[in-house]
Amino acid sequence: MQALLVFLAIAALSVLASSRTLLDPSRLPGVAQLAASGLLFLIFGAILGPGLAGVLTLEDVQGLRPVVALGLGTAGVILGLNLDPRLVRLLPRPVISAALAHAGVAFLFVAVPLAVALLLTTGLPLPAAVGGAALLGAAASLSSGHFAVLGYRSGRMERARGLAVALLTMLDDGVGLMVLALALVLGAAASPAEGVGLVSLALLLGMVCGALIAFLTYSLKDPAELTAVMLGGVALVSGAAAYLRVSALLAGVACGATLALVGGRAVEQVSRALGRFERPTYLILVFLAGCYVQARDVDAWVLLPGYVALRFLGKVLGGSLARRFASSALELPARLGYALIAQGGLAVCLVVQYLLLVPGALSQHIFDVVALGAVFNEMLASRAFRQVLEPPRAATEGAT
Amino acid sequence: MSGAIIRLGLLVAMLAGIAQVQVWRQGEGTSVMLAAGALLLCGLFAGKVAKGVGLPRLTGYLLVGVVVGPYALGFIPFDGVKGLELLKGLAVSLIALVAGTELHLGLIRRVGTQVALLCAAVCGVTFGVCFAAIFALKPVLPFLAPMTLPQALAVSALISTVVVSFSPTVTIAIVQETSARGSFTEFLMALVIIGDLFVMVAFALAAGLTRASFGGGLDVQGLLSGVVWELFGSVVVGALLAVAMLVYMRRVNRELPLFLVGLCFAAAEGGAWLHLSPLLVSLSAGAIIANLDEREGQRIHHAIQLAGLPVFALFFAAAGAGLKLATLVTVGPAALLLVAVRAVAIHQSCRRFAPPEDPRLRRFLWMGLISQAGVTFGLAALISRTFPGFGPQVEVLIVAMITTHELVGPVLTRRALERSGEVRGDERPQTA
Repeated sequence: MQALLVFLAIAALSVLASSRTLLDPSRLPGVAQLAASGLLFLIFGAILGPGLAGVLTLEDVQGLRPVVALGLGTAGVILGLNLDPRLVRLLPRPVISAALAHAGVAFLFVAVPLAVALLLTTGLPLPAAVGGAALLGAAASLSSGHFAVLGYRSGRMERARGLAVALLTMLDDGVGLMVLALALVLGAAASPAEGVGLVSLALLLGMVCGALIAFLTYSLKDPAELTAVMLGGVALVSGAAAYLRVSALLAGVACGATLALVGGRAVEQVSRALGRFERPTYLILVFLAGCYVQARDVDAWVLLPGYVALRFLGKVLGGSLARRFASSALELPARLGYALIAQGGLAVCLVVQYLLLVPGALSQHIFDVVALGAVFNEMLASRAFRQVLEPPRAATEGAT
Repeated sequence: MSGAIIRLGLLVAMLAGIAQVQVWRQGEGTSVMLAAGALLLCGLFAGKVAKGVGLPRLTGYLLVGVVVGPYALGFIPFDGVKGLELLKGLAVSLIALVAGTELHLGLIRRVGTQVALLCAAVCGVTFGVCFAAIFALKPVLPFLAPMTLPQALAVSALISTVVVSFSPTVTIAIVQETSARGSFTEFLMALVIIGDLFVMVAFALAAGLTRASFGGGLDVQGLLSGVVWELFGSVVVGALLAVAMLVYMRRVNRELPLFLVGLCFAAAEGGAWLHLSPLLVSLSAGAIIANLDEREGQRIHHAIQLAGLPVFALFFAAAGAGLKLATLVTVGPAALLLVAVRAVAIHQSCRRFAPPEDPRLRRFLWMGLISQAGVTFGLAALISRTFPGFGPQVEVLIVAMITTHELVGPVLTRRALERSGEVRGDERPQTA
């Protein structure tokens, strides 16, 4: 029954989220933005979940953990496919420096003050407070390029600039994932050595699965078979990680990167096959992540304004630094930082993964702050991005 | 085929490695998704291997499930297989939807009466023979021996209704796989579907009688209303689903395979919750669409072929993984005797009562009626839940029979279709 309930909830939300009225920015701009980004599902998950209305009980949410693992694994594989190590190596050094700059500044702006705040207000031991703040910083360092992509596709932004922003936002994913790995090393096991072992196990598992999927898809020509093998492969890597209690997200990233490296011609087909399931999987994952939100978490609401404000400052300053670094290699908009405010779904993936592997009060606070923060950042981002867009005439000139 | 064997070998080696690491990890996480991924991949490549050696793909799915499942090598934990229960309803619904699109009014007018009469004869004879055999085994069956005469008669009748049941799922999957078309195939499909309806009614009546024989009272009105609700309620809900599908296909018309999978899942879960038959719900939905708009029926058929490969491979591999091989040892002799008695009864009744116009029906039809799968599992589980005193032992006996039928049935069904001369080839990998 729980599965039917979740299915019906998601189906109803999908219908709602594709409603023209809801997606019309002139009527309800904030809601339209959240519906387009999928974060509306997070809000509905939070409302229907055990933290508020309780339509879905804690047992229901626990029972759906395999689906969350599948969502995380899928997100990881798609990320890994995008972060093809060969392509990343080909990028000019200033581009990498720029990505590290905007992600790193936001990380520091959030992690350092919030570590102090956590230490002073919660009475947590130093390593726990620093670890929690680092994870908040990692989530803050992530940006989503969907505004830039929409901007250049609609002709409101020059294509080269839009793609440059999207590239920078894609590269910052690496920073977030590295901090997640570090946080898991410190928090997911009895000792750091064991933590290293578990993270290595996740990466090894992902690499073996990636190589196996590449081999399995090598001679397949039929699209239906290819899709089925890809789905099975993603379920295998996610499921094996969940079964062994290691990170499905990291295993998925390793799987995707390995597949991109050794998959040959099949990679494009595999990406296309996976792309068909990307949006539904993402929406289900975001909805289920929303079910984990404890909306009555007072500590999270207290931390939230600081988190959002510090991230905003960090992104604006980090953006100007990044622009300086990459000016020779990329054509970036003048107010780059304002284009980096949108946070996207990966931040939620990072913290939901941490919450599943290191359950506890601190993980719950971090998760609540980041999940709620993602919603606020999305709403903030739609206003901030207007600062980046050229006046219509300039854009037209750029296009011609 | 060697490529498929190597790939299957690598997959099994990978699962062995994961199982080994799990031993070191001490304490396990959730295994449902591992079961889903592993069984899907193993099923796909085992299907290719099976096809390479001339067996139905479905047999490959089942066998690999048995091998890597919890009752043989144990690479897939029991909880993981149990967690895939949701998929069973989905697969049955999808298969029934495809089958429904084949049920045109013209076909029903042409062979409906003949099929219904033959079905009644085959089910009646098989029921009678199995009933006699089970009752004769009363002294040696531990759960039947201590019962009074009326109780033993009622329980024998109850078990016989389940033993009679066919497997529309397996039959339709094999028809899909072989792309068989023709009057023999139509007759076989219609017979297994109608047989299922017979079994549903007979089971409800036998369960009522059994309850009465154990002092539970005979609620005739409740019994009849339950049967009527299950049959007619399913058709009504199926009609509503058909309308929903037609509206979607005409107005939205995007991602049809994904939509159908979602709708079939809702139909299966909702149907079970409303005590309806998921099979009948989807079957009537498919039939209504095919008869209202044949073009849309064909589109559904095509869309499910695209979405069906992963669902069918996973469903049958999971069914294989759930087969308890140990039951064959404990209740093996009695189960094998019943398997033989059932086969002989079906064979003889087909030879005697099948329409003489088509000699193929008399010679080969029985082979298509041997399979048992989802419906039989469901009824056995229902007996176990409804009659906790003797039900679990009956379930073991029936599961042992299903194990044999699942392994032999698909091969025989395929052979029946091949010998009828209606197989068009096995080139489409989209099918089961």
